[in-house]
Amino acid sequence: MKITKRIFVQLTAGAVLAVGAVMAPIQAVAAEKLVIVTSYPPDTTVTVGKAFTKATGIKVEMLKKKTTAGIKYLQATAANNTSDMFWASAPDAFEVLKGDGLLQKYTVKVKGIPEKVGAFPINDPEGYYKGFAASGYGIMWNTRYLKAKKLPVPNSWADLEKPIYHGHVGMSAPSRSGTTHLTVETLLQGEGWEKGWARWKDIAGNFKTVTARSFGVPDGVNSGQFGVGVVIDFFGLSSKASGFPVDFLYPKMTTLVPANIAIVKNAPNPGLAGQFIEFLLSPEGQEVLLDPKIRRLPVNPATYAKAPKGFPNPFKDKSIGSAVKFDLQLSKSRYNIINSLFDVMITYRLDDLRAATKAIQTAEAKSKGNAGAMKLIKQARALVSKVPITAAKASEKDFNSIFKKKRKKATTKVTGRQAEFEQAWDTEIKANYAKAKQLAEKAASM
Amino acid sequence: MTDIRPEAVGVTIEGVSLSFGTTQVLKGVSLTIEPGEFFTFLGPSGSGKSTLLRAIAGFGPVPGGRILIGGDDVTHLAPWHRNVGMVFQSYALWPHMTVRKNVAFGLEERKIPARDIRGRVDAALSLIGLLDLADRRPSQLSGGQQQRVALARTIVVEPRVLLLDEPLSNLDANLRIQMRREILELQRKLKLTTIFVTHDQEEANTTSDRIALLNDGVIQQVGSPMELYDNPANRFVADFLGTANLIDGRVEKGQDKITFQADDGTLIPLNGTGVEAGPGTAMFRPQDLTIRKPGEDADDGAVLPGRVQHREFLGSLIRYAIRVGDNVILVDDSHQAGRPVFDVGDDVALRLSVGQVRILAG
Amino acid sequence: MNSFSRSQWGAGGLALLIGLFLFVFLIVPVVKVVYVAFQDPNTGALTLINFVDFFNTSLFRESFLNSIYVAGGAVLLASLISIPLAYFTTRFNFGGAVLIQTLGIVPLIMPPFVGAVAMLLLFGENGSVNLLIDEWFGFTIPFMEGLNGVILVEAIHYFPFILINLSAALLNIDSAMEESAQNLGASGTRLFRRIVFPLAMPGYVAGASLVFLKVFDDLGTPLLLNINNMLAPQAYLRISSIGISDPMGYVISVILVVFSLFSLWVSFLALKNKDYATVQKGGGGLMKRDLRPWEKIGCYAVIILILLMVLSPHIGLALLSFGTVWSYSVLPDAYTFAHYGNVFRTATQYISNTLLYAGLAALIDVVLGTAIAYIVWRTGLIGRKWLDYIAMGAVAVPGVVLGIGYLRTFVEFNVPIIDKPLSSWWVIIVIALVIRRLPYALRACMAGLQQVSIMLEEAAENLGATKTRTVRRIVVPLMSGGIMAGFIISFATASVELSATIMLVSAESDAPLAYGIYEFMQSAAGRGPGAALGIVAVLIVGIATYISHRVIKRREKELAPGVAVAAQGV
Repeated sequence: MKITKRIFVQLTAGAVLAVGAVMAPIQAVAAEKLVIVTSYPPDTTVTVGKAFTKATGIKVEMLKKKTTAGIKYLQATAANNTSDMFWASAPDAFEVLKGDGLLQKYTVKVKGIPEKVGAFPINDPEGYYKGFAASGYGIMWNTRYLKAKKLPVPNSWADLEKPIYHGHVGMSAPSRSGTTHLTVETLLQGEGWEKGWARWKDIAGNFKTVTARSFGVPDGVNSGQFGVGVVIDFFGLSSKASGFPVDFLYPKMTTLVPANIAIVKNAPNPGLAGQFIEFLLSPEGQEVLLDPKIRRLPVNPATYAKAPKGFPNPFKDKSIGSAVKFDLQLSKSRYNIINSLFDVMITYRLDDLRAATKAIQTAEAKSKGNAGAMKLIKQARALVSKVPITAAKASEKDFNSIFKKKRKKATTKVTGRQAEFEQAWDTEIKANYAKAKQLAEKAASM
Repeated sequence: MTDIRPEAVGVTIEGVSLSFGTTQVLKGVSLTIEPGEFFTFLGPSGSGKSTLLRAIAGFGPVPGGRILIGGDDVTHLAPWHRNVGMVFQSYALWPHMTVRKNVAFGLEERKIPARDIRGRVDAALSLIGLLDLADRRPSQLSGGQQQRVALARTIVVEPRVLLLDEPLSNLDANLRIQMRREILELQRKLKLTTIFVTHDQEEANTTSDRIALLNDGVIQQVGSPMELYDNPANRFVADFLGTANLIDGRVEKGQDKITFQADDGTLIPLNGTGVEAGPGTAMFRPQDLTIRKPGEDADDGAVLPGRVQHREFLGSLIRYAIRVGDNVILVDDSHQAGRPVFDVGDDVALRLSVGQVRILAG
Repeated sequence: MNSFSRSQWGAGGLALLIGLFLFVFLIVPVVKVVYVAFQDPNTGALTLINFVDFFNTSLFRESFLNSIYVAGGAVLLASLISIPLAYFTTRFNFGGAVLIQTLGIVPLIMPPFVGAVAMLLLFGENGSVNLLIDEWFGFTIPFMEGLNGVILVEAIHYFPFILINLSAALLNIDSAMEESAQNLGASGTRLFRRIVFPLAMPGYVAGASLVFLKVFDDLGTPLLLNINNMLAPQAYLRISSIGISDPMGYVISVILVVFSLFSLWVSFLALKNKDYATVQKGGGGLMKRDLRPWEKIGCYAVIILILLMVLSPHIGLALLSFGTVWSYSVLPDAYTFAHYGNVFRTATQYISNTLLYAGLAALIDVVLGTAIAYIVWRTGLIGRKWLDYIAMGAVAVPGVVLGIGYLRTFVEFNVPIIDKPLSSWWVIIVIALVIRRLPYALRACMAGLQQVSIMLEEAAENLGATKTRTVRRIVVPLMSGGIMAGFIISFATASVELSATIMLVSAESDAPLAYGIYEFMQSAAGRGPGAALGIVAVLIVGIATYISHRVIKRREKELAPGVAVAAQGV
């Protein structure tokens, strides 16, 4: 009965494995370990984590979650918190957590970090979160793709509206990516609500796709799926450093926003958390940011001496990021609405938007001199750009609460539901795009 | 080498009824089997004989009534506590064990020390003559060998009763005859109470001390093979065992003689012993008649005139189907080269020795 | 003394335990999900409003229709691949039958999402194939455009289900059926239409509905192909971005489950009353004829084409794992072993976690499977059939729904010693794998048990073995082929499961292979190592499958002709 023995051996082995495995996490929990909720990819977290462990001997566990998911996670586990730190790009995410009382203050001991980068303060003035790197938003492109399709390198957001880029641009959505959210918000703050949305819709009309995650954009550009991507700087820079045939630039209308780290309230290991922050801001830690897999802009100006040639330096080159003074409170006030609006108007109506945009671009090309046609085209454009709510409404507190999922807060009056509003907007938007397409086609035939 | 000498007990079945779902398979069966007896359950398929055997072993739903083995009521006892050895129709040898391990199984379950197991297994295997195949797997044995191993496996645990569920039906004809003689010999040697289930009357007749004939869940008759054959209790028994001529009619009692008047008018004189007047069926076997040319004298038997309808040559005898009145009567005439043979269409006279006529209840 | 009832009690107790396990880890979470879908998020009262919202929202309507479209399209494409292959093997004396059998297994060793990224690089608009076609002919084929990409990847992966079922159905057709029809005057397409097709239909429908179900529920492939307007990805995105309390995620879950049940029902109906195989005495399949030379070339051409397509994800993945940079070119720029080095230096915990989780899950599955099979087929317990139905019901629960259910149900349940909510403990991943793979292990164990004649057990009981000892000494050893088949199937599929895993992994250190691959594919430098990890996953599954075939063949030889060992599992 050899087979029975084999099964017996399997059973024993399995039992041993099981016991060992159960023991391991118990031991892990017992040993001292820093738990960080982070939206950064393994390229960043593993590299920094390794450097930190090497320097201090403290082990780090990274809980990888998208920015929005990370916020949800900390909110959900607040009563029974097991996370030490939150480490992500978008300062508005930190504002949300700060507002919910989920962060604790920390005073940095390391010296040499300036107050501002570009036009933006590096640290939270109230001391809840610290900037460790700066990020800007810009345009990334695939050199082989542009060459093969004979497209010029785009220099500004306005460039991306050009008809030649139709179907070649990729971007993520604010609801799926903290950094994309910042990008969208930046342009809205820089150009104003109406103009900003108009610009975004015109660019979106040239989209090939709206990616599911922020990484989908550099991935798409890297692999040649589409030629141009709207990305956070380190995606572009690290892709380039990895050897892909891509390049990156900052358009004028951008802002430099710090990427942040904070200690969670009631953290199990606040002391270790503090050590992590100190490391991150130390010259040694800042240098890690220059690693080709990471490529983020350090906040310590001295570190740039070690940077490779051509690496952007916001402290030397004041033009980067000073065009827009990012208003964090404004961003916070309309955080969820921006997510919703972008999705309703752009992400989920992409086909309609693209069709309308293509029609408009075609009409424009044909009817340069035709006044009547141009008038129709102008109407069409206005229809495409239209936003269902005003900037004021977008920042309204009560209105915003409809788009939040607050737990058990009976005090906030919730009139109507998020789904209701989104559906109403969607109907309006769809009609607008369709009408715009109609007008443009009419103009083209004139 | 230890001898195998199990202790034989009797089996009593009291009013056992058993149903599968809505179908009642056994209908109040009662029976007593003596210690050391070779007892057969005989019957057509669906008669309930296997079900009864399995009920004794403890398989199937718990029956109504009682089953006693050696005086112990085992009706509600699980199979593994009953200590009755069963040999299955398909032998049920475990393919993943060698012959030796198969035979050792029951002893291992009884926690016999390993040393003793070896001895007893060897003894059992020697008894059936397969000691040299002890390390083979069942798939490497012939049908007959497998059957013997199944037997050995059962008797090695010294059961109180041996149950055999149609053990020979998967063997070819020659092997069957040889095996039934071997089984009988084994049983005699061990003096083990044995219950044997079969649908084959030849097997039943040649091996059994007594037979219980079942039909449709009811015992038709219990007795020795010759008793059942010579004095069947009813039509079914008469018909099942051997060939029978059955004629319906009435028994008429006169002043000094008793006659059987068949429905078609044929008259058969009867012996006076223990026969009641009234409707009944006359039964006599083909070998109870002789066939003659018409017009010859009758001695003390009846003479039935008839005409040959059909003739079958069966080697040692010729079987005639004779039309007598409304009935067709089968007559066996022994055959030797040169003896006169009747043709189809011939008129004949049948002489029936009336002592052989039995009257069965209507 | 009633010693019967003791064994009944034992079986009853076991059945209760198993029932409890299934109840807590399958029924409760699914019921919870359904319940939440019908709950008003603000008041908690029962309402249909979430469903109304769902169908009023064009995005969700679109996702719903897209899911149906993709699943249907995948069935269509899979049929187009399977039908010629099935026809070749059953209609002609064809030497390449072994090749086709291999074709039937190869796709199953790589889960669709793993190859999805590689497929993009090969068949995307600027992928290898299109770059070549564009260069030579001046146009491109939208293989991977939007939903097409999902359809292509899924069809290439799942067509074996149709191929196997259809081939079996065709092989079961008694040649006498065809002959009698010909005798009565039918031939050619008429014959096919009136005789062959209807007889093969049940097998085809069974396979097709299974493909529909699996594609409809698949989360990984659309996610990796960046297609979000389908039901499963929407559910995942809603729950992970908006939160565990978002009702839409639950509404979608209910729809997924309803459609899955519907597909299962169709499959069940197709096979139920139309067990044509048993009515026919002969079997033996259609009449075969030889191929003419040009026909042979045609056949081989079709098969080679299909083979290439089927192998394309594997080829693409291998290229990606060895390539340095692959961007807007037909092949990678250069080749290297660095990615494998990377994987084995940094990512071994994915592999070890997977071996642990899948191993444990498979072990538990065969124990459960054996127990349930025995209880259903060998005891008379009331309601025992329900154990079978419920365990099999797990097939209708998509991974994403189970994940959501677990998160929702167990987030408040704190595990005593570990002091973590159950939904964050790695054991919950194992439990999810156990539940999801149980149907397959159960089927294998049942098939194994049914090959063991009940007389073999009765013989043991007759000789003094109690039911428990009989199970241990006789039943389990004789079932070992089925048990091992169940273990291998469970292990192989659990090691690459993504849908439920992606929802339940809370820490990197707990993550298994599938998650690791997903993670790696999320960074520029991670493509190569991610592909390398994918190759490792394929190797694990492939080796496991191969071992199982060898072991089962050897077992069959050992025990034949007395006991045939079952090895099929869907």
